Amino acid sequence: MLAIDAAAYRSPWRRRHPAAKAVLAGGLLLSALLLPPWPGAPITAAITLLVALGWARVPPRAFLRSARAPLAFIVTGSVTFLVSVDASGLAWAPGGAARAGEVIGRCVAAVFCQLLFAMTTPLADVLPRIARRPGLSGVAEVAGLVYRMLSVVLETVDAVRRAQVDRLGTLSWRARWRSVTGLAAQVFVLSFDRARRLEDGLSDRGYTGSLAVSVESLPLTGGFLAVAPLPGLVSAGLTLMLTSASAFV
Amino acid sequence: MHIAEGFLPPLHAAGWTVAAAPFVVHGVVRLNRQIRENPEAKLLVGASGAFCFVLSALKIPSVTGSCSHPTGTGLGAILFRPPVMTVLGTITLLFQALLLAHGGLTTLGANAFSMAVVGPWAGYGAYALVRRMGGGLLGSVFAGAFAADLVTYCVTSAQLALAFPDPAGGFTGALSKFGAIFAVTQIPLAVSEGLLTVLIVRLLRSTSAAELIRLRVLKEGQAAS
Repeated sequence: MLAIDAAAYRSPWRRRHPAAKAVLAGGLLLSALLLPPWPGAPITAAITLLVALGWARVPPRAFLRSARAPLAFIVTGSVTFLVSVDASGLAWAPGGAARAGEVIGRCVAAVFCQLLFAMTTPLADVLPRIARRPGLSGVAEVAGLVYRMLSVVLETVDAVRRAQVDRLGTLSWRARWRSVTGLAAQVFVLSFDRARRLEDGLSDRGYTGSLAVSVESLPLTGGFLAVAPLPGLVSAGLTLMLTSASAFV
Repeated sequence: MHIAEGFLPPLHAAGWTVAAAPFVVHGVVRLNRQIRENPEAKLLVGASGAFCFVLSALKIPSVTGSCSHPTGTGLGAILFRPPVMTVLGTITLLFQALLLAHGGLTTLGANAFSMAVVGPWAGYGAYALVRRMGGGLLGSVFAGAFAADLVTYCVTSAQLALAFPDPAGGFTGALSKFGAIFAVTQIPLAVSEGLLTVLIVRLLRSTSAAELIRLRVLKEGQAAS
């Protein structure tokens, strides 16, 4: 199972309604994107971290490990702000470091908000609820099917990869290429074989085209929904207060 | 290379979402029609989506000795056609954002435009063109996967350059900067993805010819050639 999904299933917030968690993380995300990066981004990032690690009790190591890949993209992309290119060639960009800092700050806060939602809400709780919306049922059902097949396929990938390593399939450049193509082809064959067997099994049970599953009903009312917008509002309030205070000074 | 959450200014993120929406809606309509006419196809599409996700997570050995990930959009477009790949690609990007933190929710539109719309169409176009010119299956597959990978990254560079024009060189200066970092380093990776896709299709031709015929990649009698 993927680390983010595993954290979401184990989250103490698992029994909170996904829409309430979307309001909470979405409010913070809006603060991260719309407020002035300084001091909005560090304030939003700090509040999101506090909510994620303190209130939602997301494991800190899993949270930071999941943030590594997007942060690498953000830093690489922001390096370009440091230099400027014109007909005369390459030069240091005036104000480039400040611009890079603003983008990095905004992105770090936004990625934390994204992880807050992803690490507290399994997709299995979200997709069936989307499937009930008119017009979205077909594509949400396909997405749900992809999600269900994904865990099985990922297990297969893991098993094939382990077998390839045991058979010295990663020892040389040539062997690595052979292994990776074999793995992709094997996954293709197994995915389609599994789909065909599911097809057969469902048609034997009178399949009519609907794959709807029953979802545990979670209340959308209550204290959690009432306080969900608060972190975003606190972040916005603090940022505006500090901004106006610094303008006054 | 997915654009991370928060990297694009809100107006750009919204603009790219609007640009990608008609293609995604068209793909959803096509997919819904296909599923209504043939309910069993839903399972095949589900399997295809899982395959696309796994394909984009495979590590391929790169020329520098490190590893990188293929986009998978070329192979997906060749196997499932661009409209279906647009839907599968968007679902894959959504899952990557929520399960791997690769890409974001507000940048989903921009990432979908490059990886699920332009990449698959460019890849399929190159594949169809080379095949029509008599390039053979494997040559066409290489052209399709190479073009899809490279075009995807060029579009990403253009998206970033539009969002962050260079103070001196404007859009062109920014495009050359982002292009140098992402697209040019991507050329060896595009070659790697092309080769990987050729090897996969060659293997599939011998092990899963029936599926390739069902997906209209091969015609009856072509399997053994």
